[in-house]
Amino acid sequence: MRRVLLALALSELIATAAAPPAGRPAEAVAATTGAIRGRVEFLREVRPADPRPSITDLGMGDPHAGMADQQVAVVYLEMAPRGAFEERPGPTVVLDQRDETFVPHVLAITTGTTVQFRNSDKTYHNVFSLSRPKRFDLGRYPTGHSKSVRFDRPGIVRVFCEIHSHMSAFILVFAHRHFAVTNAHGDYRIDGLPPGNYTVVVWHPVLAAKSRALRVPDEGGDQELDFDLS
Amino acid sequence: MAVGLIRVTAALAVGLSSLGMTAGAEDTAPALSRAPRRLRVGIEGLVSVATDDSGYFNYSSYEKSAMELVRLRMDAALRMGPRAALLAEGRMDNGEGPSLSAAYLRVRPFAGHALDIQAGRIPPVFGAFGRRAYGADNPLIGQPFIYQYLTSLRSDALPASADDLVAMKGSGWASSYPVGSDAWDHGLPLVAADRWDTGLQVRWQGERVTVAAALTQGTQSNPRVSDDNSGKQLLGRLEVRPVLGLVLGASAAQGDYIADSAVEDLPLVSRAASRAQQVFGMDVEFARGHWLLRTEGILSRWFVPPVEQPFVPSPLQAWGGFVEVRRKIRPGLYAAARFDHVGFSSLTASPAEGSETPVVTTWEAPVTRVEVGAGFNLRRNVLLKAILQQNWREGSGFGSDTIVSAQTLFWF
Repeated sequence: MRRVLLALALSELIATAAAPPAGRPAEAVAATTGAIRGRVEFLREVRPADPRPSITDLGMGDPHAGMADQQVAVVYLEMAPRGAFEERPGPTVVLDQRDETFVPHVLAITTGTTVQFRNSDKTYHNVFSLSRPKRFDLGRYPTGHSKSVRFDRPGIVRVFCEIHSHMSAFILVFAHRHFAVTNAHGDYRIDGLPPGNYTVVVWHPVLAAKSRALRVPDEGGDQELDFDLS
Repeated sequence: MAVGLIRVTAALAVGLSSLGMTAGAEDTAPALSRAPRRLRVGIEGLVSVATDDSGYFNYSSYEKSAMELVRLRMDAALRMGPRAALLAEGRMDNGEGPSLSAAYLRVRPFAGHALDIQAGRIPPVFGAFGRRAYGADNPLIGQPFIYQYLTSLRSDALPASADDLVAMKGSGWASSYPVGSDAWDHGLPLVAADRWDTGLQVRWQGERVTVAAALTQGTQSNPRVSDDNSGKQLLGRLEVRPVLGLVLGASAAQGDYIADSAVEDLPLVSRAASRAQQVFGMDVEFARGHWLLRTEGILSRWFVPPVEQPFVPSPLQAWGGFVEVRRKIRPGLYAAARFDHVGFSSLTASPAEGSETPVVTTWEAPVTRVEVGAGFNLRRNVLLKAILQQNWREGSGFGSDTIVSAQTLFWF
């Protein structure tokens, strides 16, 4: 329940980020830009949740199924500079279904992005979401095939497979481009920021989100900002 | 008896889990280590309400109907190493006390081989519906006749003649016979999906083929925790997946269904007769896009000892099947329909009063059902269903009824 409330709250947060912020960032001229970079440290290991007990099965399931990488966070600006909302052609990214796991487990995109849901398994999958920003159901489709969904509204979209209840993924849809997904070491970098004051948020599917204020000075340059999540 | 079952299963668990843990060290480590969490619990609840089912078409016992049911289920899996787990299901129906509807040990003895052994009160090997009868995997509210409809035949009471059987025609929710128990009780379905049998099951799964076999206490009609006769049931299932989305299954089972208590009441000359139930089944599932089609067919044969004339023909036969289709209309919303029928073999009974012509009739009243409905996911784990069901029963009282039902289902 707590996770649901958190997801709803964050969903609202991402949605409000669509509104251009008042104050300095909005007035900034992008002649000089800075960047925010840092590392997200996970103070406790988040492991994939065990699937619900498969009481009706005649044997064990795939022991490698549902082994999504949980050590991934998304860092983003709570309020983005006005220029960050300009219309750009929507790119296409792939969210794979492999070993009964969505890969990546967390995907961050901008509005207008098309996500191709590829099935790389030898079994059927049925991707669907009932999240408010985007409700869809792609039906069952075979190995090697993809089906695409365009995301036009900001928010958090939880993605599931109707056939394999242990499969889930998060798609964070931002109205601006100032966000980053941490790499395998927890590092992130958000580029192209005009001078100004920002609130930087780190989000994780399970761990509590954190936010910190930071200023990009007039001369630009890289600003270090580390987080720890527990 | 359930306590005894738990003790036996727990003892097996301790022995086999140590095997699993030791052998597990040889497993290839996955890229990410699986959580060491040992106990996983799932909860499911449902509430069904319906208009009156005056013909008892949906009853799986005298009191219980899938149409009017308040059920709380708890599934638990206790992992005891990489290749052993203890699984159980507790259930509360209609405010009654909790019951243990499943409790078994699951072991994968050899690393890298999809061969599994399950022992205890195990999931049904026969057919397909029995393993997906729960919750969201049943797109409608009613259960197919072949897995639920109560015939008038019983395991603890036997008809002495064909006339006794014909007298009970169409009243499987409460029948009575002169041999064995003299209490009124519900009869046997072709296959009972609502209760699980107890025994040992082995399954091997390949890329396109799955083979399973089991040895159990009860029969398809009458799954049991403790045996009520000396005969065991042997059953097997072959499943083939020739192309993606198509599953073809064939199942067969044989076991003694008549209780010793009823046999003891038989004349000596009749006691040597077969008391077996034989069941043969075929099932097909085809899925593509937003469509899902499922169909199953079953032939059940019950052998009945002869007592007095006119004899009950042995075996008594029942055959039936269903075709079910589900179509997703939009995210979270689907429509579904099922057509059901069960037919019965004929017998010859005594002439009606004032006639000299023997009566040739089916030993039970054939039944037919059409059920249509829709389901809507309020949330991913909250499903609302509504159905309209029309039932027909030939040649007996309670000829037909129309039922409207709604169900709320949640799980987490």
